[in-house]
Amino acid sequence: MAYATVTAVAIALSLGACTTQTSKTVTIATHDSFLIPDSLINQFKKETGYSLEGIKVGDAGELTNKLVLTKDSPIADAFFGIDNTFASVANKNAIVDGSMSAIDYADVCFNYDRAWFASNGIVAPTSWQQLTGVKYENLTVVENPTTSSTGLAFMFSTIAKLGEPGWKTWWAKMFANGLKVEAGWEQAYYVDFSGSAGHGQYPIVLSYSSSPADEVGKAGQSRTVSINRDCFRQIEYAGVLKNAKNPDGARALVSFLKAKAFQSSVAENMYVYPVDKSVPLPAAWAKFAPASKSFVNVSKLPFDVKRSTWLDEWSKLAGQ
Amino acid sequence: MLKRIALWTLPILVIGTLFYWPMTQILGRGLKGNWLLTLGEPAVADAIWFTLWQSLVSVLLCLIVALPTAYVLYRRTAPAGRVLRALITVPFALPTIITAIGFTVFQKQNVNYSISGMASWLTSPVFWILVAHLFVNFSVIVRTVGSAWVGLSHETEEAAALGGAGRLRIFWSISRPQLMPAIVSASATVFMYCAGSYGLILVLGGGRINSIETEIAFAANQRLDLQEAGALAILQTLISVAAFAISATGARSRIGFDTHDITTHQPKLDQRDLPAIAVTVLALILVLAPLVAIVTRAFVAIDGTPTLQNFADLGGNGARNLLSITLEQAALNSLRNVGVATLLASVFGILVAYLLSRPSLVSHVRITNRVLDIAFMLPLGVSTIVLGFGYLLTFGSGPLPLRSSWLIVPLIQGLMALPLVVRIVYPALASITEELGEQASTDGASASATFFRIELPLVRESVGAAIGYAAIISVGEFGAASILAYGNQATLPTVLYQLISRPGGNNYGMAMAMSAVVIVLTFAVVFGASLPTRSRPLRRRREGALKSLR
Repeated sequence: MAYATVTAVAIALSLGACTTQTSKTVTIATHDSFLIPDSLINQFKKETGYSLEGIKVGDAGELTNKLVLTKDSPIADAFFGIDNTFASVANKNAIVDGSMSAIDYADVCFNYDRAWFASNGIVAPTSWQQLTGVKYENLTVVENPTTSSTGLAFMFSTIAKLGEPGWKTWWAKMFANGLKVEAGWEQAYYVDFSGSAGHGQYPIVLSYSSSPADEVGKAGQSRTVSINRDCFRQIEYAGVLKNAKNPDGARALVSFLKAKAFQSSVAENMYVYPVDKSVPLPAAWAKFAPASKSFVNVSKLPFDVKRSTWLDEWSKLAGQ
Repeated sequence: MLKRIALWTLPILVIGTLFYWPMTQILGRGLKGNWLLTLGEPAVADAIWFTLWQSLVSVLLCLIVALPTAYVLYRRTAPAGRVLRALITVPFALPTIITAIGFTVFQKQNVNYSISGMASWLTSPVFWILVAHLFVNFSVIVRTVGSAWVGLSHETEEAAALGGAGRLRIFWSISRPQLMPAIVSASATVFMYCAGSYGLILVLGGGRINSIETEIAFAANQRLDLQEAGALAILQTLISVAAFAISATGARSRIGFDTHDITTHQPKLDQRDLPAIAVTVLALILVLAPLVAIVTRAFVAIDGTPTLQNFADLGGNGARNLLSITLEQAALNSLRNVGVATLLASVFGILVAYLLSRPSLVSHVRITNRVLDIAFMLPLGVSTIVLGFGYLLTFGSGPLPLRSSWLIVPLIQGLMALPLVVRIVYPALASITEELGEQASTDGASASATFFRIELPLVRESVGAAIGYAAIISVGEFGAASILAYGNQATLPTVLYQLISRPGGNNYGMAMAMSAVVIVLTFAVVFGASLPTRSRPLRRRREGALKSLR
């Protein structure tokens, strides 16, 4: 069986060949919503000499966990997109070399379709606590906290705001009130929500305070409004991964993400607010998508200890 | 004898490293702590219960559709029978992620269903999961039972019909008892596939419906609970190995494209067959509906107007640069993986089949062979999620840090396909070995010359079918790739999953367009493989080969 031997040798050889990698490339693992324009990738290369390669790994939770599971030989040199709900997981498992740097933040709030409420003669809600009301029956779509970091953030908001067992009572009322649950933000926002591209059936959606900036019509008005009350402030971090093949490149990259050029790109590209306060926001943002001034205090929530218990409890309420 | 032991070492090394080692790692993780308590947790117990009942219901649905279809397509002469027999195998050959995408087109009508007052089960993800399982698997039963049915004698049935017995009665009291082994075997196989279904439940369940498989992935990926993932992986393996053992006892060789010729003349369909014909027509509609839905949807833009843009988008990275690589690059990755996986599976599969088929008069060799036979068959009963999880635990670091290499995905796919190759080629080799091998060796031909010049050409149809199956497994494999393939190593199914789970912008249209391309290719391959083979000239060549050796 000369064949077999040849194959085995070939496999062994190519295995060896694969482990070498040019140090002139730096790879970054991100969540799926990360977006960096080509012009900035070129600028990064000009400034540092490194080519940037991106690897997208699901939402913030999947990203964090995948980095933990592969920490012995990490899939990238740097990461972007671990947020404040998962930072403790990253810290506990010691996957970060040095400390994490905050890059941007976003406020998870409900949005509603302005035209829908106007034409149906119903008063639009001013806080999410009102959504259990009869007049909002069958109007709301949210993301599943077990599969979406947006949904998870909001579930934490309800726990922080309403406490035990109030948050569960509230969700039970929501389900009784015809709440629709989608697996991810894209399905909920682009497919089910009536105020965006999909022209769906639900005029209230769990999204971000910045989303209305993307719905500005020809008349210079946004089709949607964000309910900026008791929102969840999600902070996204970047950092260098332990055991990275190219730690120098990774450090250069994290500095680049904190610098002016990238900071001024995040609003347009990722619909988040830059941490660098000196960076101006796009014009439409001041009018339609200011950051929320009211958010729930989640700093005391034991995210990593209680996460799976809460998710199980939520799932049971959802009637899975 | 020594030479044979030497030949065994290589495949044993391969399966030991790529299968048994990762499995022991899973056992180690799963049995840590109180694993019985883990399996009793409400969410976990729900997933286990769902897996069991949905698999059972899927099997029953498949039987209801498949038995009449098998009757019409195999036991009777149906118009365009060969074409229809090929058609119903398309869903089985299609990557499951594409099946899932096809059914999301119907699932998206959710709101319309509730508005038109349709029953609430149309909006239930469980309903679509069951329909999708029916779609993928019923042809397994049709083919297995049909092949057995073809060989049954018509005499008793005709006599019963003359005596006034109806079709159903004849089936129940005459055909069914004879077909029982085939029915049991095929049902167990379908049960195994449904229990191990991952991509379909992930996409159609939308995170709200969990099976053991999705719960393993969820525990590992979202909760970092490796102990729970391990415990579930052990349970999943026990379930599928049990189902597999039942399926293996029932039929000797259930797999293969239309290798047998349906030459026995079957009676024509008549009026009394109408109910069976009706079911068959329904089955064909079921097969075509999601495929047609995908292909038509591929030509529609977001705003509902006809367009070719979705196909033009295939060279890009999707809305908001979702994909790390383009679909074209992902397709090339998949092709490369198919090449490596098929090579691995066929080289070692044929080697093992060859070694197993050597006749032996010594009893302890026969026992060893039986043990090896089972050892090489076991990976068939292990799901790709379980194995992918095992690879993650085993090859991340340590002596063989395979995880960071692109080879890890094709290796796992090759390993999944290897037992199938053995199961297809081994019976074929065994059936010719004794008569031909001894004859040739008494004529002075060496063992390797006999194998390469006589035996291998004789079983080349089986080898072809085996390679075809290995390729199908590799192209469609989603579970392991979703755990192990990152960034520029993404495969076609993982990229399609990314698109369908982020359907904003043109992503949904791109998923449809790419799926449409794969559907057309699958049709081409399946129908190409089912074309009439010219077996007669081949036989002449075989005889020629024998003579020239003499």
